[in-house]
Amino acid sequence: MTPGARESDLGRTGLIAVAGLLIMWEALGRLDVSMFVLPVTTVAAAWWHLVGDGTLTRAAASSLVSLVKGFVPAAVLGVAVGLAMGRFATVRHLLDGWVNALMSAPLSALVPVLIALFGIRDTVVAATVFMFSFFVIVVNTLTGVRSTDPSLVEMARSFGAGEFALFGRVYLPSALPAVMLGLRLGVVQAVKGMVVGEMLISLVGLGERLIYYGNTFLIAELYAVIASVLLIALVTSQLAQALDRALIRWK
Amino acid sequence: MAPRPVEIVVDGVSKAFGTVQALVDVHVRVRAGEFLSLIGPSGCGKTTLLKTIAGLVAPDSGRVVVGGRTVEGPGRECSVVFQDFALLPWATVQKNAEFGLLLRGVPAAARAERARGMIAKVGLAGFEHAYPAQLSGGMQQRVGLARALAVNPQVLLMDEPFASIDEQTRRVFQDDLLQLWSEERKTVVLVTHSMEEAIYLSDRVVVLSPRPGRVHQVLEVPLPRPREGAGVRATAEFARLVDDLWKVLRKLQ
Repeated sequence: MTPGARESDLGRTGLIAVAGLLIMWEALGRLDVSMFVLPVTTVAAAWWHLVGDGTLTRAAASSLVSLVKGFVPAAVLGVAVGLAMGRFATVRHLLDGWVNALMSAPLSALVPVLIALFGIRDTVVAATVFMFSFFVIVVNTLTGVRSTDPSLVEMARSFGAGEFALFGRVYLPSALPAVMLGLRLGVVQAVKGMVVGEMLISLVGLGERLIYYGNTFLIAELYAVIASVLLIALVTSQLAQALDRALIRWK
Repeated sequence: MAPRPVEIVVDGVSKAFGTVQALVDVHVRVRAGEFLSLIGPSGCGKTTLLKTIAGLVAPDSGRVVVGGRTVEGPGRECSVVFQDFALLPWATVQKNAEFGLLLRGVPAAARAERARGMIAKVGLAGFEHAYPAQLSGGMQQRVGLARALAVNPQVLLMDEPFASIDEQTRRVFQDDLLQLWSEERKTVVLVTHSMEEAIYLSDRVVVLSPRPGRVHQVLEVPLPRPREGAGVRATAEFARLVDDLWKVLRKLQ
């Protein structure tokens, strides 16, 4: 059996598992075991309705704008800070403690500070996205730079590479897989930050819809929004993975 | 056009790493165009000495002169071949072979042509687009050699280049290296821990003593050239020279 065939077999197994789960869910829903277990078809109908009247598309659009506004600066700055920390011991010593502390800290606790800072606006959501995704990008980039093979550095130096060439020709490409991993983990964190931020300010986006439908016991609509959030998480992380594969062909 | 090979003078070089004295007052003169090996027990500082010549390690005292220029950092005279190949895993054979030229600012077209020629010369024509991970150890080191030669150095410094290559591959590679060296006459300094390798390849063998590293003895290798493919390894003279070297090294263990 070729590896390719095995992979598609695995894919099929996965699909069967998902289909089985959906059928079970549908059956339980129709048995009416609890008001929180609705048939999948009811949820799908609610989803279709919310897309149709524009509620879901508007909310998703607002969420995605915040996601991009938060994640793009987090990616750019995160990689830059990670590279600087990786190459310059002074920068590393200066920031190491902060980065490590904030990476593992429950950052949702800081959202009220952001609200105080920016007011109840969608800027808070973008800021939350930034905060959630920034540190994991920094740490992975830093690790990538630090794990550069010293013999490659020595080799480049033997051909007269200066600091600039070393950075661009050795450290950066060597760190690229780790940077991409950071971005992939970062985008997952960013979606989390997006939902958390929106739920806490309860004003815009999918997070606001989650709170609203939850509080008003519109369970079918609630599940429809949850499904949309999961879909966004899945698509963004698949995009990040595709970018990873396109950039790093040598592995 | 190959540049004229140059002389290397190691003049009273000492180097310590912390409290470990790696080299003490080392004097070596490598003649222009000579193939010289450095051999000695591990910890004798032979790699440190090579890196000092390459300008990668600065001596604490003494100096190294390559072709009349005192070494103060990596210069254009020398190319280094590394034990672990030091190939860029993300770059193809072609790009790896071009890397030295790239760092020295050679324009893209000239770079590509020169590297392609060297790849063919080390016997890897057709592998230009392969990545290092797809090649055997011996082939990877051929890329390392092509990269070193592509910049057309006057001096080739080799740090145990065959150490992580299996025996059969190594013998073929050694012959190819001698063949290349006869075409592109360069001053070669080879660090090795193989006595057979040192005798087979070199004009002279410098034996270093360990802790601290000093020059213990210099052996001449009067075997006629070309040696490649001439069954030199099977001669009594070769065996005697290896045995002489072993007698010197045994006392140093």
